[in-house]
Amino acid sequence: MSFSFNETNSLKIEFLAKRYPQKKALILPLLWLAQKQEGFISEKAMAKISELSHMPYMHIYSVASFYSMFRLVKNEKKVVEVCRTLSCELNGSEEIKKHLLENHSDKYEIVEVECMGACGGAPMCTLEGKYIENVTPQMLDEVLNAN
Amino acid sequence: MQTKIVSKNFEIPHANILEVALKNGRYTSLEKLFTYQPQEVIDIIKTSNLRGKGGGGAPAGAKWQLASDFAGIKYLVVNADESEPGTFKDRQIISKDPHLLIEGIICTCYAIGANSSYIYVRGEYEEFSDILQAAIDEAYAKNILGDEAKYPVEITIHRGAGAYICGEKSALLESLEGNRGHPRLKPKSPEPEFYFGEPTLVNNVETIASVPFIIENGAEAYTAYGTDCSCGTLLFAISGHVQNAGVYEAEFGVGMWDYIQKLGGGVKNGKKLKAVIPGGASTPILPAHLVMEAKLDYENLKSLGSALGTGGMIVLDEDTSMVKALKNLLRFYHHESCGQCTPCREGTSWVDKTLDKFVNKTATLQDLEVLKSVSKSMNGQTICVFAPAASGVIDGFLEHFEAEFLECIV
Repeated sequence: MSFSFNETNSLKIEFLAKRYPQKKALILPLLWLAQKQEGFISEKAMAKISELSHMPYMHIYSVASFYSMFRLVKNEKKVVEVCRTLSCELNGSEEIKKHLLENHSDKYEIVEVECMGACGGAPMCTLEGKYIENVTPQMLDEVLNAN
Repeated sequence: MQTKIVSKNFEIPHANILEVALKNGRYTSLEKLFTYQPQEVIDIIKTSNLRGKGGGGAPAGAKWQLASDFAGIKYLVVNADESEPGTFKDRQIISKDPHLLIEGIICTCYAIGANSSYIYVRGEYEEFSDILQAAIDEAYAKNILGDEAKYPVEITIHRGAGAYICGEKSALLESLEGNRGHPRLKPKSPEPEFYFGEPTLVNNVETIASVPFIIENGAEAYTAYGTDCSCGTLLFAISGHVQNAGVYEAEFGVGMWDYIQKLGGGVKNGKKLKAVIPGGASTPILPAHLVMEAKLDYENLKSLGSALGTGGMIVLDEDTSMVKALKNLLRFYHHESCGQCTPCREGTSWVDKTLDKFVNKTATLQDLEVLKSVSKSMNGQTICVFAPAASGVIDGFLEHFEAEFLECIV
């Protein structure tokens, strides 16, 4: 079965196409839309994006694989990211990561990430992309067990 | 100690909503803007001495002139890829006062003759970018933006996807064109940036957000703040081992230690200060004795062997292991190297792995030499300043704290 964008996304694409001088510029927005639609970016989605952006498939793959937020494999679990860069580490991110791995890794995929621009709320995590700042193990337990 | 120009509306509830923003002075600079010719606006920005607030500190007016003078379809690209460790200021503007940014974009587009602009927001900032998009939608609905506006401007948010290097302006443009974020070779003589071959101005969020104040109050009102060479204010940020981490706007030239104590609430848990990384991870570290004399402006920090960078200070207390702190940063550079240039791709990986031996206390004197020589080979050999920055970080730690590294040698 081939990939196609749903109706809402097709309308968005039509709108975005008018905003950029060349179709090639649509590649990142289209990769995001595909990921939102399917939870990851499949080869079939990339083939579709290749068609829509008038660029070779290999170029789409090259771009998709460059950016760390694009997922080329489907995640079965919800993702919890934990920032490990300096301000977070100075404020205890290592203990947070340990706590997550020991208590929540069966239900969630725990991923270490680099600076998220939340150094004022260190240590920080994200749940499905949403920022949770000044986290403590207790706070994480509450949020993650309720989810 | 705070001077609120850009952050004036940050505390006002719902200042991101147009109605509230209008009641609090947003878009009032536009009336004055349209009484000037575009070149006059550029001249005002030049006189105001406004400098790029994304880290480089280059004069904004000169960049505007380059984009304005070059024939072609003009674009304004706003850099909101804020990813420098210790930096979280643009995020405040985007989520607390997005209409200030939109107002600044209209002013800037008018000055350089652009009708299209893009805001490149880092992918992780989705929830903040949604607030900005809602503000843009409101501005379109009220004909502040779009074809029916007094000066037509289109704003499109372009979402990044997790690459630090896209904060480098030419890598950002590559990404905006639908490519990998690989920085471009730098020109020999001054020229604007190019988006699909057309002259383009790339400025940081805070730079653009500073424009409405200058248009409304005049260049002199802006140069009244700060020092002779570093005019105005900056949204300095403070994090790490500090009591009240956060973003507090202040004039350029205030004392660093004064800032840390008065606005940051001092070092956390009553401990002593060991060092400060002054302006984002990429600026060389300052030991405590230099922090005492440091002033928060471009020239003073340069004279101390570091840089103001983004103004995002990371405070380290007396118990911090410098070996571990450097390891943390080198892992960051290793992870974020775009891989285009060999000295950077291989060098960042090599120093990161070498640091493991110091952390595990199994290093030899030769490892210390490797660290120094690889650092040297990363400096000045690459397309962009990423590898030189990593090199400066290593050199800074070794210059001031080599003794701690020697303790890890077997």
